[in-house]
Amino acid sequence: MDEAIVVEGLEREFKGGIRAVDGIDLHVRAGEVYGFLGPNGAGKSTTVRMLTTLLRPTGGTATVAGFDVLHQAGDVRRSIGVALQDAAIDPFMTGRELLRLQAILHAIPRSEGHARGEELLERVGLIDAADRRVGTYSGGMRRRLDLALALVHEPVVLFLDEPTTGLDPTSRVALWEEVRRLNRESGTTVFLTTQYLEEADQLAERVGIIDGGKIVAEGTPAQLKAEIGDPTLVITPTDPSQLAAAAGVLAGFGPAADAKPGATAVRLHEGTEGIARVVRALDHAGISTAGIELHQPSLDDVFVERTGHRLEGDAEGAAGGKGRGGRKGRR
Amino acid sequence: MSPAVVQTLSLARRSVKGTFRFPQAWFPSLFFPLVLMAIFTASFGASAAHIPGFPKIDGFLSFAMTGAIVQGVLISGVGAGGFFAADIEGGFFDRLASSPASRSAILVSRLVAGMFLATCQAIFFMAIALIFGATIQGGVVGALIVIVLAGLLAIPIGGLGVLLALRTGSAEAVQGMFPLFFALMFFSSTFFPRETMTGWFQTVANLNPISHLVEGMRQQIIVGVDWRAAGVSLAIIIGLAVLTVGGSALNLRRRLEGNQ
Repeated sequence: MDEAIVVEGLEREFKGGIRAVDGIDLHVRAGEVYGFLGPNGAGKSTTVRMLTTLLRPTGGTATVAGFDVLHQAGDVRRSIGVALQDAAIDPFMTGRELLRLQAILHAIPRSEGHARGEELLERVGLIDAADRRVGTYSGGMRRRLDLALALVHEPVVLFLDEPTTGLDPTSRVALWEEVRRLNRESGTTVFLTTQYLEEADQLAERVGIIDGGKIVAEGTPAQLKAEIGDPTLVITPTDPSQLAAAAGVLAGFGPAADAKPGATAVRLHEGTEGIARVVRALDHAGISTAGIELHQPSLDDVFVERTGHRLEGDAEGAAGGKGRGGRKGRR
Repeated sequence: MSPAVVQTLSLARRSVKGTFRFPQAWFPSLFFPLVLMAIFTASFGASAAHIPGFPKIDGFLSFAMTGAIVQGVLISGVGAGGFFAADIEGGFFDRLASSPASRSAILVSRLVAGMFLATCQAIFFMAIALIFGATIQGGVVGALIVIVLAGLLAIPIGGLGVLLALRTGSAEAVQGMFPLFFALMFFSSTFFPRETMTGWFQTVANLNPISHLVEGMRQQIIVGVDWRAAGVSLAIIIGLAVLTVGGSALNLRRRLEGNQ
């Protein structure tokens, strides 16, 4: 099995003619971490629900771990681990009880299931909380337990639907580390949906950007950023009245780009090498600068470029960008 | 044991544990029937024997005991539906559906848990009634018949709760059906004999299968072991179960296919 997930022309239309997923193609290699990036309502979760046999496609085909999601649903379920949005966990059960139950659902023999449960509790750092009811767990603990539950049967493909939404930065980084380790040590294929650019950038070898039910861009984060190409140079003149003059100078080096108030920006056609020439030109025009910043393109830029709009939800997310200026202030 | 059986029993155990760990779930099903049993017994205990048409009874508490048992099962049925809906809302249902676990285990486990809880409840109500002086004319056999029927009654009632949960997907909506369950009981001979009713009320009670179900159970307590009456109760339970569990199974399939 070279390809863990193969999707062709996958569609899902809901009552009322709403096409949540509108003919997508995906090829995820075995052992790869694939990031599925898009805003709320883009079709990420609907895609995951179809790939995990929870929702029937209304068109197209999908195979996961070599099995058809429609006709070999049982084989798909045996091969996949699933951690869906919001960590679906029974609050009245303890972590240990849930792990044992999950092993039973996968028909793992009792003693083996118990041993596996202990190993996973240890691994995700929940051994001390194992006998506490899940209702008392913090958000990060719930996600870690959810991950452990998805791993009970050592799945070939792991689906993580927005695994860190709503987590604090520390818990988020801890979960990323766990996913990386899992992929490195067991070679598990990971299909991850996220609305956080930073998450996709950090974890995924390849990223697919979905918007309005269609994939609008796909590639490694580096490839996607390279497509946007030129870095952005942001100049803040010392004297605000020289802003227009500074913009005039920059216009000679490429198209203007968004900048925070009091600054002006340009997409540097010549790349990083152009900085020196820009500085000399500014000097020549008698414009002194309070700040010069260079920003390489981010996945956010890719997203805006491809969809014409910003990734909502990211503002409250890991990257913490706020508004137009914030985007340029980050890389 | 086959994996499907192990899965069913494990999920049933989880349902029972969940109920015990959530007092809001089991408390009403014990409290309300006890309160009604106490109020009715206090109100009619002295006069029931003098009401024309009232069956000959040893004491009103013996008469009221069956009502409490059936009422408890009905309230638990709403609770079972509520838990099932909470599983759908909270995503636990998706966890089950995306695992290779037996599909029928998802439904059957809830019914098995309901049977277990209803049996415990029936024993509890019977014990309380006996402590306060009720008698069971059918003796140990009669008591066992009532307990077994109460346990079996949890199947169609739990099936109805699950059916509502699968249709609505909302615990709140299922809880909202609670008055309907109560109406079903009040328009029957659950609390008072049909013989003392009049007019359309009596007609409704005559048609209400709950009346015949309850009477078949009550017969064991106030008259003596009566296999024919028990058979009527059992037939009603089976008939209702075919409807509600069948409906649940169909709706479960629809939901599993993601067509809702």
